[in-house]
Amino acid sequence: MAATNFLDPSVLSSLDNLELRARVVVEGFISGLHKSPHRGFSVEFNDYRHYYRGDDMRHVDWKLYARSDKFYVKQYEDETNVRCYIVLDASASMAYASAAMSKLEYGRTLASALAYFITRQRDAVGLITFDEKVKDYIPALCRQPHLIRILRVLSELKAGNKTDVTRPLADLASNLNRKSLVVLISDMLDDEVKIIKTLQQLRSMGNDVILFHVLDDAELLFPFNQSSEFIDSETQETFITSPAAIRSSYLENLNQYLSYCKKQCQSSGVDYCLLNTSQPLDAALASYMARRARSF
Amino acid sequence: MTFLAPLFLLGLLAAAIPIAIHLIRREKPPKIVFSTLRFIKTTKKKLVLFQQIQQWLLLLLRSALICLLVFAFARPLFDTSIARMLDTEPESAVILLDVSLSMQYGENFNRAKQAVEDILAELSSGDEVALITFASSTVSAMELTTDITQLRARIDGLSGPGFDKVRFFPALRLANEMLESSRYENREIYLISDFQANGLDASEGEASESGWRLAPGIVFNGIDVGESQTRNLVLSDVRSPAQIVEDESQYDILARVRSTGSVHLQNAEVTLRMDGATLMRVPVDLRDTSEAVVTLPVNFERSGAHTGEIIVSGDEFTADNSWFFTIDVLPQIRVLVINGEPSLNWYDDESHWLVLALQGMGSTPFLVETVDAPRFNSNVLAQTDVVVLLNVDDLDNAAAAEISTYVQDGGTAFFAPGDRVSAERFNQQFGRVAPAELEQPLLLRQGISAGAGEYLVIADIDRRHPALRPLAMDWSARFEGIWSSAESTDAEVLMRFDNAMPALLERNIGEGKTMLFTSSLDLEWSNLPLQGLFVPFMHETLRYMVQPILKQRAYTIGEIIDMSLEVSAGSSTLAVRDVDGTARSLSAGSAFYSAQRPGVLQVGNEAAAYYAVNIDPQASVLTRVAPSTLHDRIINTDTTPQQSTQVRTAELIAELEQPQRLWWWIMILAVMLVLVEGYIANRTYR
Repeated sequence: MAATNFLDPSVLSSLDNLELRARVVVEGFISGLHKSPHRGFSVEFNDYRHYYRGDDMRHVDWKLYARSDKFYVKQYEDETNVRCYIVLDASASMAYASAAMSKLEYGRTLASALAYFITRQRDAVGLITFDEKVKDYIPALCRQPHLIRILRVLSELKAGNKTDVTRPLADLASNLNRKSLVVLISDMLDDEVKIIKTLQQLRSMGNDVILFHVLDDAELLFPFNQSSEFIDSETQETFITSPAAIRSSYLENLNQYLSYCKKQCQSSGVDYCLLNTSQPLDAALASYMARRARSF
Repeated sequence: MTFLAPLFLLGLLAAAIPIAIHLIRREKPPKIVFSTLRFIKTTKKKLVLFQQIQQWLLLLLRSALICLLVFAFARPLFDTSIARMLDTEPESAVILLDVSLSMQYGENFNRAKQAVEDILAELSSGDEVALITFASSTVSAMELTTDITQLRARIDGLSGPGFDKVRFFPALRLANEMLESSRYENREIYLISDFQANGLDASEGEASESGWRLAPGIVFNGIDVGESQTRNLVLSDVRSPAQIVEDESQYDILARVRSTGSVHLQNAEVTLRMDGATLMRVPVDLRDTSEAVVTLPVNFERSGAHTGEIIVSGDEFTADNSWFFTIDVLPQIRVLVINGEPSLNWYDDESHWLVLALQGMGSTPFLVETVDAPRFNSNVLAQTDVVVLLNVDDLDNAAAAEISTYVQDGGTAFFAPGDRVSAERFNQQFGRVAPAELEQPLLLRQGISAGAGEYLVIADIDRRHPALRPLAMDWSARFEGIWSSAESTDAEVLMRFDNAMPALLERNIGEGKTMLFTSSLDLEWSNLPLQGLFVPFMHETLRYMVQPILKQRAYTIGEIIDMSLEVSAGSSTLAVRDVDGTARSLSAGSAFYSAQRPGVLQVGNEAAAYYAVNIDPQASVLTRVAPSTLHDRIINTDTTPQQSTQVRTAELIAELEQPQRLWWWIMILAVMLVLVEGYIANRTYR
């Protein structure tokens, strides 16, 4: 079986186990790259400092205590080179699916694949899910159990209500104390100006930012013909129209929106990657790899 | 625009079906939960508007499609060309309007006027039309004209039908003459009538015997405006004497009542009115018979002119229910018989047979007085209407002169000389007044005249003479003795013997009158007194001499009444009171009058004479005939059979539709609409 087949959303959607799905994605993707994921990573001593109550006793240097009769705690370089925060949009609009896989499912698969991949690279990965507020927050760590925790949260993730992308990003920006990689997976169906402004803020703080703009095939092509009553999945607002009549106008509006997002992201150093849920995930992973290679 | 199959236009109602479906069965669109409406709601407003327009346009297209299909099946046609083509042949038309008595029945005349209006409405501009009203006489109400407005005004001004009977052919002949000289070749006659059968029969002789028909090319249109069911009673005949003498105190008037409508009436009532007073009412039973004769006895208490009216009632048509008549009751005629050969023995008495003839019956108009010639007194002449001198020879000259003077003053004398008369003496005494001078007696039995037969008979009679008209039959009397005579220049021979000698002569002297019978009135010279004709001969002759000429007093409407005898001497005018009471004055030189309504005409103010004017009974017979019967009788065989306007229009439409074929183009348009509808429908709903 060709490796790319495992990246096909229609195939991936048949895999219930998210870990398995992430593994399939990453292994399939990596085998396609023909590169070893194990290189350039080590745990190195950095300095000592006095022990304070509450420090982990495992980090006490017992040899030095024997020599000096004082408690010193070893300080190491981080266990990873990258701290990555995956920010996943779980609003109601992400639940839209015109085919087998919804945007949320697609984003969840992408997030899990990225987490798996990052973990395998000994990088720390964290997860933030949100709709109109932050639903889950998992700090960035680099441990196997931590991946399991992330995957569990992702597997239990359900679409929420309205969208507020700015808020979790702003919270994240305020909490980041060192250079990180922020991966935003969202359909961006919010105030894109504010979102991009927040992303620019993150970028200006020295973080690398990747925006995976996930959209459904139907959203991109608007293939409807029959007059229908369209219902907004978040606001429940309705609108009756003939799609055939407004298709060109719709696509024009959409392209204008997408162009704005792409242009603003590019101008501010934010990697922008438009993902179609009907297309394989390799594009998303390739985009991440490219950013990872450039930055670290 | 016209349609060959206009009933299909009802299908236009189906155009409402798409609208009804749109309104009643408006389907709710399917619901699609979409991620966001931001890109949908911000689509251009004009697109949304265009979308709504598309829907309405689709609705409109579908309704228009149905309408087009309906129009196509109705086969439309631009008819302006039809009117133009119909107008290309201008028409000369003559409208014959029946104004006879029967048109008064029900709403016949109103329907007739409406029919005229319908004809005028169908005429095109430029057509010329004439109007002729007719009954027994024909009146050209308006010559051929293109002024329809004026013609309408003339029709509105028509007074209505009269009381005359109908005759079709004079009107048809007049119309034929008018159309033969008309402007256009397209000629047509419209005859509007109730088509009384007797209107055809009355003229049958003049038409069929001469084989008269309309000129070639003249089209005949019979428009029947009569009612299919008619109820009418009519006095078809009334028998009343024009003159009776005073002695006849009672007289029976006979009236014949008849039901002439299509519905037989079973009961009627006849009313007799005399001199304005109702005398009697008689019920008439017509259950078992179509007509009945009613006897109406009437008494006259005074002499003079009487007017009467018989009225039949019990029907719906009252215009013909009255019959008018006049009766002149005359006084008895006073006859003075001067007997020249009286005798105690009746068979030798000269006057026996004459007196017996004049007074030998129960009722006689004569009052006879007999005197012997020697005892004649001229004083009695003043009370005498006529003097009869029977074989008189012994009158003195004074008496004879008195008689002559009496005649010259307006009296009348009848001479019957016999064997006692001397020719010389007779000629001397009565030569001034007698119709002829006597020459010599001709006695055949005694052989006076050698070569003659044994007797003579009457061989020549003036049958037109008023006195002899009722006696126009073979005379079988034999005459063995007569007087040969030399008639006066102003005398007229009324009868001659078979030897050409005068038998009866008449002479008018001023207002007086004398007659000479050249034989005796006893059995001595002839057997005339024994003949059946003797009594009427003497009655008619003496009545003729005394009483005025029996004038015709009964006329029918339209007949010319000659009133010249009513003109008084020296008068230049004659006063006439018409049947409706209108006073008229006629010139004495042309005292003729024609009444147009039934009734009694009064002529003169004092000692008035009356003339009864009645409807011709034939005018009241409402039996009808089909217009096609008249059409077949008068239409010329060279005339192209007529096509109605509808047929001509249909043919023209068919001819015009062939090149037009609008329905074909409409079908193409409908197909195009189907394509457009499909295209828009695909864009709008799918």
